[in-house]
Amino acid sequence: MVRLITHNLLACHAKGCTTNNFPLQIKDAQLALREAEFNPDFLRGFIPRIEWAALVSAARQLGDESLPNEVPEMIDDDFLRGLHHVLLEIHIDEGAMVCPNCGHVYPISSGIPNMLLAEHEIG
Amino acid sequence: MKDQYLFIFAQAHDDFRVPELYSVAELYGFDLVIPEDFDVARPFAVLELEKEEHARLLARRCVLIRSVYEFYARGSNYEELHVGNRAARPKWEKYIPDTSFKFVVNGYNQSVPQHRQKQVIEHFSYMDFLGKIDMKTPEIILGCFEEYRDTTGSIRQKHDDDGNFREVFFGRLVEEGSARPLVGKFNVKKRAYFGNTSMEAEVSLLMANQTLAAPGKLIYDPFVGTGSMLYTAAHFGALVFGSDIDGRQMRGKESRPGIIRAAIQYGVQQRVLDLCTFDVTHNPLRCGGIFDAIVTDPPYGVRAGAKRLGRKKRRIGSRPDDQPYIPPTKPYELSALARDLVLLARYLLKPQGRLVFFLPTVTEEYQEIDIQMMLCDGMEVAANSLQDFGAWGRRLVTIRRTTTFNYSSPTFDADGGDLGVNGEEHAPAHRDFREKYFQGFKREL
Ligand SMILES: C[S@@+](CC[C@H](N)C(=O)[O-])C[C@H]1O[C@@H](n2cnc3c(N)ncnc32)[C@H](O)[C@@H]1O
Ligand SMILES: [Zn+2]
Repeated sequence: MVRLITHNLLACHAKGCTTNNFPLQIKDAQLALREAEFNPDFLRGFIPRIEWAALVSAARQLGDESLPNEVPEMIDDDFLRGLHHVLLEIHIDEGAMVCPNCGHVYPISSGIPNMLLAEHEIG
Repeated sequence: MKDQYLFIFAQAHDDFRVPELYSVAELYGFDLVIPEDFDVARPFAVLELEKEEHARLLARRCVLIRSVYEFYARGSNYEELHVGNRAARPKWEKYIPDTSFKFVVNGYNQSVPQHRQKQVIEHFSYMDFLGKIDMKTPEIILGCFEEYRDTTGSIRQKHDDDGNFREVFFGRLVEEGSARPLVGKFNVKKRAYFGNTSMEAEVSLLMANQTLAAPGKLIYDPFVGTGSMLYTAAHFGALVFGSDIDGRQMRGKESRPGIIRAAIQYGVQQRVLDLCTFDVTHNPLRCGGIFDAIVTDPPYGVRAGAKRLGRKKRRIGSRPDDQPYIPPTKPYELSALARDLVLLARYLLKPQGRLVFFLPTVTEEYQEIDIQMMLCDGMEVAANSLQDFGAWGRRLVTIRRTTTFNYSSPTFDADGGDLGVNGEEHAPAHRDFREKYFQGFKREL
């Protein structure tokens, strides 16, 4: 935990930080690989929600080069298995996520990211 | 053509029984006919289903089902029962030639003495079953149930009323309920991690059934606390995601987060997608339309205060959330929270997704409009079940996203007061619940 599927859903939400606030940059990541159940229906349903470029760059930053630059037109089992691995099996256990726009640091400890904002950062 | 099945229900959480049946039927996509005179005060009911397989699915998933029988007959006395059973011959004649069987005779609210059990069985001899009686591994089990009225409180001897039952039922066992034992499996006291906000096992299971949890679905608890509903939803195959404003609720004291430890105990750790610390009213989720269900027990201030980020304070740098620091927060009034939750759910749920949550309320003041006024366009009530504690209670409300229109994320500034359906101010019974609770629900003079 934090899995890349979660990283793909989280944006900086500090007050006024509305552009270039996603994807959060991953810093000092301690990674773990943990097997997850493969469910092709879940993945097919989730693909339209993915910010693909953000997923590809996060995966590459963590050393996984397996994803294609674009979502292929033909979604086959091989592709889904690769996607499954990247979305659900790579975990960031320690480290931080940093907003590329305002620089807010969201620390991750024991796999749980702290996405809380300070007083002056809320709207 | 629909067939009739005799259901034996647990006498608990009566008001949840029908919603659970409908939810599980909807989950598996089959029809279920509940008779108009269905009475939740009684443990027996005859329901109609298209296939025996559907009865089995219900028995495997509904926490409130004890067992399901193929229905043969019922009567207010044995004469009536036997007339009905002779007429049901087409249903049981296939078992005559050589099916091993066993008879059980049971009383509800009162036991049936041994010698009369034997008599009851002998009176079925016209069925002429030729197979052998097998008490250990019979191919079929025939059940005869005498339902007595509840006489708790009255003074009488054990078998005083023997034979004077309200109604008697007869059928063939289709399946013993196998979801009911999960209440033991998820017992909070035996859980690797729990707290004083943990939800009791049976209710967590009922909640998971209201979400239609199943493999391939993603279910979210925005006030996850110690994670009680994550475990049951994940048990039924869903991926689950939780968040809480207070990281310590999710973590506990050990280095491995408490929710993960409990998930490991239940064998569902792979399905805990992630846990995050945030205030749901200032949430970092980038888009909506992602969850199949949201299931939650919102904070209502009795044990876990409702709060949101707020109070003036100097800047606090970024830090992990397991430190004894909690950012400044301000109270969050329950009726405002409830309306915000429905708006948030409309944004975060997929179309047809469900919001399942508890709303505490003052029993005497509650009116149906209290629920109606939390709704917004595109969100409709699918079920509403009371768990009654006397002066107060809590309602498990299930709301369905009926719209496909994508509304934007709510702004959480709904402190403009509670408006009824016709725009008039109306204070729902759950408004300021915390204050009412601590005043012992005495109305102000
Ligand atoms: C009634 S408890 C939920 C308990 C949970 N069902 C369990 O099994 O332990 C409510 C939780 O909401 C959290 N909470 C209160 N205000 C919140 C907010 N604005 N955003 C997120 N969580 C909040 C509290 O920290 C508490 O853990
Ligand atoms: Zn930012």
